Amino acid sequence: MIPDLSVKIGKVKFSNPVLVASGTFGYGEEYGAFFDLNKLGGIITKSITLNPREGHLPPRTCETPSGMLNAIGLANVGVKRFIQEKLPFLRNLKTKVIVNVAGSSIDEYVEVVKRLEGKKGIDLLEINISCPNVKQGGITFGSDPKCAYDCIKAVRDNSTYPIIAKLSPNVADIVEIALAVEEAGADAISLINTLVGMAIDLEAKKPRLSNITGGLSGPAIKPVALAMVWKTASKVKIPVIGLGGIMNTQDALEFILAGASMIQVGTGNFVDPECSVKIVEGLKEYCQEKKIKKITDLVGKLKT
Amino acid sequence: MNQRNEEGLLLSVENLGEKLFRLKIYSPEIAKKALPGNFCHLRVNESYSPLLRRAFSIHQVETEKNSFELLFKVVGPGTQILSEKKPGEKIDLLAPLGNSFSFPEKDENTVLLAGGMGIAPLFYLVSSLLEKKFDPQKISFFFGVKKKDEYLLVNDMVSTGIRLHLATEDGSSGYKGMITELFFQELRARRLKTKRTRFYACGPNPMLKKVSEISRKFKLDCQISLESHMPCGVGACIGCVVNTIKGYKRVCKDGPVFDAREVILD
Repeated sequence: MIPDLSVKIGKVKFSNPVLVASGTFGYGEEYGAFFDLNKLGGIITKSITLNPREGHLPPRTCETPSGMLNAIGLANVGVKRFIQEKLPFLRNLKTKVIVNVAGSSIDEYVEVVKRLEGKKGIDLLEINISCPNVKQGGITFGSDPKCAYDCIKAVRDNSTYPIIAKLSPNVADIVEIALAVEEAGADAISLINTLVGMAIDLEAKKPRLSNITGGLSGPAIKPVALAMVWKTASKVKIPVIGLGGIMNTQDALEFILAGASMIQVGTGNFVDPECSVKIVEGLKEYCQEKKIKKITDLVGKLKT
Repeated sequence: MNQRNEEGLLLSVENLGEKLFRLKIYSPEIAKKALPGNFCHLRVNESYSPLLRRAFSIHQVETEKNSFELLFKVVGPGTQILSEKKPGEKIDLLAPLGNSFSFPEKDENTVLLAGGMGIAPLFYLVSSLLEKKFDPQKISFFFGVKKKDEYLLVNDMVSTGIRLHLATEDGSSGYKGMITELFFQELRARRLKTKRTRFYACGPNPMLKKVSEISRKFKLDCQISLESHMPCGVGACIGCVVNTIKGYKRVCKDGPVFDAREVILD
């Protein structure tokens, strides 16, 4: 028996539930040297903004116990060059392509999605309303239900692509935000983005990141992510995409049990470039072994 | 798909001095493809502590033995674990990664500056030049360390016949002071030719900042190999950038070798 790993979000059918997280996979090309990208459910690009962004001063990253901090500052080529230079490579892939969009105002989000509209090679959009590392925008849209609603609604009204809203864990009540973006017309939500964190160089009496604070990712945040996925998945009707410290098949299955229809591998890509494809294989083997016909049968099957 | 997760076999671990180690690793693929300047991204164990890979310059390659070497100093938990590995253990590697040094022409002079562990990629470059029958008398090697017991591979270099300039910060051997000071003196006294000469440098950032300033001042054709914390090592995360006159560049993918005149270090 070959288990059915396929999953649908909106009208888009993915061959399996494994995605690679925005910001950890560039625009896809870099990891194409390591494995066949078509084996993935989908690829999520680095956040795209209206204009190119240089990003923050280095140092931008720092390792922490079972995790890492980053403050890249949404460095990206901007929507124009993305379409000209990066999309042609992605267009030739059979895997689904999800373009992550960020902005510092609702107008900027709208302008970016308008420019992406109708471009061949894009299957979905992921709207980043949760970047912890930029002063304006990003997380400000994701930390208040009204702002989150307005941002996703504006994108919804200006795009025909299915929309995933990427949520921040740095909020008082993530369920409230999730319900707001569902109401605004999001087709799915992904969570969690990184947790705000900090590391200090005692010798120099200085922060280890030039931005002072950064976003914490990796195995260290997995328990937080699981709890938030579980809380949210029981309250919304749209699919939840889980991420936060997923390093292997077991982690992925735990998120699926907690209610995630799909998962994203982020920091895991750095530790093992083939982490994501190994999880695709691992899910297949698990389903075969446990005689599970469809992976969707496992979603939210946590016994409580 | 030209890049793979390589599994290397550890052949030997040598302790070359206080906290200084040399690993010899068997990997036919890497030995075949590596070029001076390339680096490898290595996972020290399978746990999540430490979580990320460590980047090391490829130090030496023995093509006929299908092996290559890494040279490193123990500076934290990752390098500590690596130094305790035993021959026969498997090593998880991504390599060769990054760009490489561009070689001089046969009739050009070569000047290399290494500070401490910066010798790792430069020794590989010198060995490659000598293997290609470059005249050792046209190669000058400046090597600086804090104190004399940190000298590495000095005898190996002496035996090749290249021109060696040594410095220690504490004056325990050779010139007393920074290697960049000795280099600057030689340049100013015109004992080093700058026309038809290729310069190469590797070492701590403060040293490379000096080299970069000197290169701009004297208009030197100088390549420097940079170090940075690299989460991915393949150009995807944009975490390891260095500032240059052309904007931020990824040390792992656009480098680690850069034109010294273009890099802005602080």
